[in-house]
Amino acid sequence: MSEPTFAVLGLFDTADALMTAIPTVRARRLGRLEAYTPYPIHGIDAALGLRRSPLGGMVLVMGIVGALTALAFEYWISAVDYPIVTGGKPPGSWEAFVPIMFEVTVLFATFTAGLGMLLLLNKLPFFGHPVLASKAIRDITRDRFALAIESDGPQLDPDAAGRALADAGAAQIEVLPEADRRPFLTSDYILRTLGGIAAACVVSGLLMYWAVKLFPVLPPMVHMLEQPRLNPQRADSFFRDGHGMQMPVAGTVARESGLIGVATPEEAAALVNPLPRTREIFALGRESFTRRCAVCHGALGNGVGSLTAAYGAKPANLQAQQFQDYPDGKIYWAIVMGKNAMPSHAADLSETQRWAVVHYVRALQRAQHASDEDMKPGGQR
Amino acid sequence: MNPEAAILRSAIPDCLVEPPLTEGRVTPGSLDDQVLAFPERRPPAQWYIGLAVTMTAMAIGFSLIGYTLATGIGVWGNTSPVFWAFDIINFVFWVGIGHAGTLISAILFLFRKRWRNAIARFAEAMTIFAVMCAGIFPLIHVGRPWLAFWLFPYPNQRAVWPNFRSPLVWDVFAISTYFSVSAMFWYLGLIPDIASMRDRTSSRFRKAVYTALSLGWHGAASHWRHFEKAYLLLAGLATGLVLSVHSVVSFDFATSVVPGWHMTIFPPYFVAGAIFAGFAMVVMVMVVVREGMQLKNLITLRHLEVMNKVILGMSCLMGYSYLMEGFTAWYSMNEYLHHAFMNIISGTYGWAGWLTISCNIFVPQLFWFKKCRTSYFWMILVAIAVTVGMWFERFVIIVVSLHQDYLPSAWRVYTPTLVDFGILLGSFGLFFTLVLLFARVLPVIATTEVKGILPDAQPSRTGGGHE
Repeated sequence: MSEPTFAVLGLFDTADALMTAIPTVRARRLGRLEAYTPYPIHGIDAALGLRRSPLGGMVLVMGIVGALTALAFEYWISAVDYPIVTGGKPPGSWEAFVPIMFEVTVLFATFTAGLGMLLLLNKLPFFGHPVLASKAIRDITRDRFALAIESDGPQLDPDAAGRALADAGAAQIEVLPEADRRPFLTSDYILRTLGGIAAACVVSGLLMYWAVKLFPVLPPMVHMLEQPRLNPQRADSFFRDGHGMQMPVAGTVARESGLIGVATPEEAAALVNPLPRTREIFALGRESFTRRCAVCHGALGNGVGSLTAAYGAKPANLQAQQFQDYPDGKIYWAIVMGKNAMPSHAADLSETQRWAVVHYVRALQRAQHASDEDMKPGGQR
Repeated sequence: MNPEAAILRSAIPDCLVEPPLTEGRVTPGSLDDQVLAFPERRPPAQWYIGLAVTMTAMAIGFSLIGYTLATGIGVWGNTSPVFWAFDIINFVFWVGIGHAGTLISAILFLFRKRWRNAIARFAEAMTIFAVMCAGIFPLIHVGRPWLAFWLFPYPNQRAVWPNFRSPLVWDVFAISTYFSVSAMFWYLGLIPDIASMRDRTSSRFRKAVYTALSLGWHGAASHWRHFEKAYLLLAGLATGLVLSVHSVVSFDFATSVVPGWHMTIFPPYFVAGAIFAGFAMVVMVMVVVREGMQLKNLITLRHLEVMNKVILGMSCLMGYSYLMEGFTAWYSMNEYLHHAFMNIISGTYGWAGWLTISCNIFVPQLFWFKKCRTSYFWMILVAIAVTVGMWFERFVIIVVSLHQDYLPSAWRVYTPTLVDFGILLGSFGLFFTLVLLFARVLPVIATTEVKGILPDAQPSRTGGGHE
């Protein structure tokens, strides 16, 4: 014996003959028994002492992994990474994820069953198996049944094995050499390649995520956003008082407005509103009032503004009788000079805007104290 | 046979004894010589003629698809409010055709219906080809199919993900999973058969190809053990899948608010219709295969008869679904639903509604007669009627429901263009071209599975016959 023997193989004509031979050959304990058949034979697993296939458990586990993967993926995408509300559903509405969870479960389970069976359990593809090069293979994949005594650690005695098979009724005995283990395209090679591709997919996916979602908000990229500058309504250490926004210098007036020609409210009472009461002026007045005044005096001018509660201030209720009786000029004076806690708006409102606000305040007052005459359609202005 | 089994066998009345699955004397060797020899011989002239016809149809279809892509989908008849028409009809039709294959290969496998072994391979192949035909239509309907990969959730530079609450995204997953699982199931079954072909061929080229494809399969008992387990698991998984796929397709309609679509009966109704249409197609192709490839002893008249019984059963189920649709419309007391149903039987497309009902419900009733179940003429007639009827059923569901919905001012009658018909023809061309090529190069009958159910194939000592 120069070459080590892998197996001795005997051919049988019927499944019955094979099944009869297995127990007698097995009793001789010459080596590991294996059968090669054209189709699966019932009961041969027990006769050869083969254990149950673990494939069922593998498929169950991978199926569950598939379901959880799909759920996690869909939830993360729909509720965390890219939440969009469709059909009024909450972002994490898992019920809609079920169809895809099912499909991914089946997909994972199928590929585990198919590729797991071929690559992991059967170690296929493998083209160097001795049976493939044997004379018997033509019969094995056609209509005959082979029983093989395979070398099991210690050197197999081909003569004894051949005799055992012949005694059991084998028609044809063949001695097979060792497997050809040159680096073919084997299951190990394919598994390593597939693993590499899977790892590459994961790495490139993570890299893409990093490049798209994280990289743009990392320090060198955000310097455009985070340049040193003063932001309104924000704290800033540039000025001594720590405010980003400063009050205008005392005495500042808005552009296009003239100087204030009056000194006291009494003097101002004599001023007459120079603006006509047109739709445009009222619109301008409302805009300026909404921007500058409503925050304290309220949208109706009734002193209930959104800041009142927050600061505990008591801005004037412009609907009060006192202010209804005010001449236009005194309202103008209060806007320009400020009154009590109210600052001057001279720097913010132009001359036109100031008088437009006066008109608008008058309109608010009249709207809140409307007479029956005012209710008539097409009534006087 | 052991004595108990013999006694038991004699006590079973004749009508309960399963008739033999093959006719005449079939041995594993003769089976190989009969089935696996096809790829080794030159095909007959009829094969070339058939291929010329189907490839012409396919060429017409693909040129029109090219024309559509170059011009825009305005060349189709689709227009407001019928935005889904031939494209989606054909998609639903072809996905449905595929279902018979999975039913035969998976569900009948779980039920241990041994007659399925002879027809399973061909039916599975038809599943795969039908899903390929189906996949074309949503792809070209998106108008810019080169961007269709946007449907898949993959990290992209736009940082945008698909909406997982959309049934159209479910469809993408359902159809691609269905195709992968069917292909896996089909290939696993093919491996031992290709190994047989590898070991009987004398051509070096064929041997190399078959060696690569069979992955070095050598029929070891320790491999068969895992193989059978994998096959059983795949059958179980495919069973759940086949019921889910057409359900998901029906969600495209059922989750909308279009009257006539928004119904809970849609998923089971679609699945039943799919199996119905698929079986008709399988019967049609099987008759041709049986005659053309001289496989009468393997695909017996009993196979065809049993399939015709399935068609009859499914036809009755379809009749029930149609009645339920009418009942739902009446019972809902919803005038829109009522109008949608009356449209089917008496509207502009009333002829299509009645064609559907006649072809799907009335004509298959012929199969109550054994004479019709076992006669080529009648079974082909019924199979063609069912194929036409099921296509028109999808026409009715899609076009009739869409052309008149809530807003009467938007109603419009839909007319398909020649391009629509040409692409439909092309999909049939593609399907039958693939079928013909498959019959030429791969074993059309799962020889390994049939070998296992031949008489005396299994050892009698272990109580053979139970499976």
